[in-house]
Amino acid sequence: MSEGAINRTIETDVLVIGGGGGGLRAAVAAHDAGARVLVLSKGIVGKSGLTQTAVTGFQVAFGYADPRDNPEVHYGDTIRGGYGLADPALARIFCDEAIAAVEDIESFGARFDREADGKLTQRKLDSSQTYPRSIKKGDSLGTPIMQALRREMNKRDVPRLHEMLVTRLLKDGDKVCGAIALDFQKGEIVEIRAGAIIMATGGAGELFPVHSNTPDSTGDGYALALNAGADLVDIEFLLMLGHAVLHPATVRGVLFTFQYLLTKGAKPLFNSEGESFLSNYDPEGNDNPARHIYARAVYGEVREGRGSPHGGAFFDPGSVSHETLMESLPSQTKYLEKFGVDMTQPIEVGAAAHYVCGGIKINTQSQSTVPGLFAVGECSGGPHGAGRIGGNSLTEILVFGKRAGAEAAAFANAQGAGTPNSDEVLAEASRVTSYLSRKRTGPRPNEIKTRLQKLMNDYVGVVRNNEGLRNTIAEFERMEREDLPAMSMAEDNRVGNYDWIEALEVSAMIRFARAMAGAALLRTESRGAHYREDYPELDDENWLQNIVIRHTGNDDALAFETRACTPGPEYTAALAEAS
Amino acid sequence: MEKLNITLYRFDPSCDAEPRLQSYDIESDGPLSVLQAIRHVYHKVDGTLSFRNSDCRRGVCGICSMMINGRRQLTCMCLATDGMTVEPPSNRTIVKDLVFETD
Ligand SMILES: Cc1cc2nc3c(=O)[nH]c(=O)nc-3n(C[C@H](O)[C@H](O)[C@H](O)COP(=O)(O)OP(=O)(O)OC[C@H]3O[C@@H](n4cnc5c(N)ncnc54)[C@H](O)[C@@H]3O)c2cc1C
Ligand code: FES
Repeated sequence: MSEGAINRTIETDVLVIGGGGGGLRAAVAAHDAGARVLVLSKGIVGKSGLTQTAVTGFQVAFGYADPRDNPEVHYGDTIRGGYGLADPALARIFCDEAIAAVEDIESFGARFDREADGKLTQRKLDSSQTYPRSIKKGDSLGTPIMQALRREMNKRDVPRLHEMLVTRLLKDGDKVCGAIALDFQKGEIVEIRAGAIIMATGGAGELFPVHSNTPDSTGDGYALALNAGADLVDIEFLLMLGHAVLHPATVRGVLFTFQYLLTKGAKPLFNSEGESFLSNYDPEGNDNPARHIYARAVYGEVREGRGSPHGGAFFDPGSVSHETLMESLPSQTKYLEKFGVDMTQPIEVGAAAHYVCGGIKINTQSQSTVPGLFAVGECSGGPHGAGRIGGNSLTEILVFGKRAGAEAAAFANAQGAGTPNSDEVLAEASRVTSYLSRKRTGPRPNEIKTRLQKLMNDYVGVVRNNEGLRNTIAEFERMEREDLPAMSMAEDNRVGNYDWIEALEVSAMIRFARAMAGAALLRTESRGAHYREDYPELDDENWLQNIVIRHTGNDDALAFETRACTPGPEYTAALAEAS
Repeated sequence: MEKLNITLYRFDPSCDAEPRLQSYDIESDGPLSVLQAIRHVYHKVDGTLSFRNSDCRRGVCGICSMMINGRRQLTCMCLATDGMTVEPPSNRTIVKDLVFETD
């Protein structure tokens, strides 16, 4: 196989990149709109990504549990939860279309928990929800959603290719016209030509050493979109949860959503001195504060020397009966017990990276700032702003998945296929294959990744400050200049070579990490999921603004632009109430 | 520090006539799942091993299912034990080592 050459070329109308919930929902919609669709995923299509692991619930304002609830109230909660930075038009769409999205997924065969009267069960997750609104299926909501979407894909026989890592988007003038991918199983470089592309690549938890995500969540989509000239927005808002189990290492990062046990009599989180502390960190003195406060509170206790041995705090599952555990959190309890965690004793819990609130900036058609490039799900940005309230992500992937699919099909139909620049294609093929011929003397990709993860954890995680961010950005630039060119793989085998995948991922990860840290440095205030210890207050006077990021010209420099946003009366009313 | 010896299936259909079993000594701070142990071998002991890292780690996707001591189990849901042998499912076409074709 010759180096730097394309081994296969495939043509389609709509290329969907990502085989999680957003990708599959979009693929089904694009197919139903009459397009030829191809789904590529670096994992197994339908069995990779975060959606399948989703736990708790998704927000849909049926108003069954409380008749005062409706899409308008849901919208208000979303705008407040986004601390005024969510794009009102996008938030409006997913609150308004949520009911229809659930009806769709139910018509695909997904079943959720119901009350005795046959209506869907609705629960309140935390204080960010005005009324109980969250739909659930035990404590593993991702399973019925993915099963239903896989079934619909199979029914329509939508073409899919597993274990294909997309490494670059191709352009024809301003618009996208295809992509280059590395086939893990065959070791081939594949060119895909498409009339429209839907990014559905999920999140970036793997940028951190402890996270709730799957290992394929390396943030590739953000870097791919940046490279293609698209804008990213709100990516400084990285939601860290304080609900991850920290010990033993077999289960590190797994979410244990113990906050739902608090109403059932469980003892609140406590520190090494046995004191509960959460209310000290919540501006409203709440014992079960909004979820982004948890990680910050645990961090504060650890820093004051009152943390647990592995850098967290304690939760005592033994403070409720085993029946209650099995009733409320059956899968999580069974999973932890399988790995020998004694659920009658306190367990160590703490911070884990969970969700990137921003992403590829989309409009109401789910289209990015690059024509023909659409985005859906966690990789997209706009609907959530500075914080994503619990349960809004699954709602979003279903609503915008359907939109993105229909819009991308229409775009491809109207515009037809473009022609990629052959120099660009060959340059990417030779960039990808160049790893095979490198000397075996440099650091392996995983060593560089570990270095990146430590920096992200220490300086771009729960608590940030000017000096840490500046030094980290300089270090990322050095890593791009020195470590990446020196990086080498353990062998030059093409087939099933995971170092090859990881090498390409790490390059994208550093690019995205640099963008996230840059935005976090620029935002000299604290808001939602972003906390600066040197600017601990919310600053509406100066910072009711979104930060938009893009590549400048042909080099790798990033441009950061601030744009005023007008959150509307729901946010102003919330502020008036708070003060 | 925990010490384990584990045996993994190796086979490169492009150049090997027959599959073989290779044993590895690994050291870790504490218990590992079988999947973590395989990843540990790859990153710390032998980078020529092929394995698949894209998975849920929660017993949801089923992709990590392999033969552990001759019994088909989810590698993300079992603890690695000293002396264990891990092989791909017997009914799958091998891509390389622990990577096999999926449906
Ligand atoms: C443990 C956990 C629990 C959660 N619980 C909830 C909940 O209760 N309610 C809620 O609303 N939200 C929840 N979330 C968040 C929500 O599940 C995710 O944000 C959402 O499912 C993301 O869906 P997605 O389709 O955008 O991406 P994913 O489902 O993550 O899919 C991404 C896909 O893209 C592929 N991919 C990535 N990069 C590439 C590339 N370069 N080339 C090709 N393919 C690529 C991946 O392999 C994968 O198939 C939870 C998240 C986690 C981690
Ligand atoms: S990794 Fe998904 S079942 Fe094991």
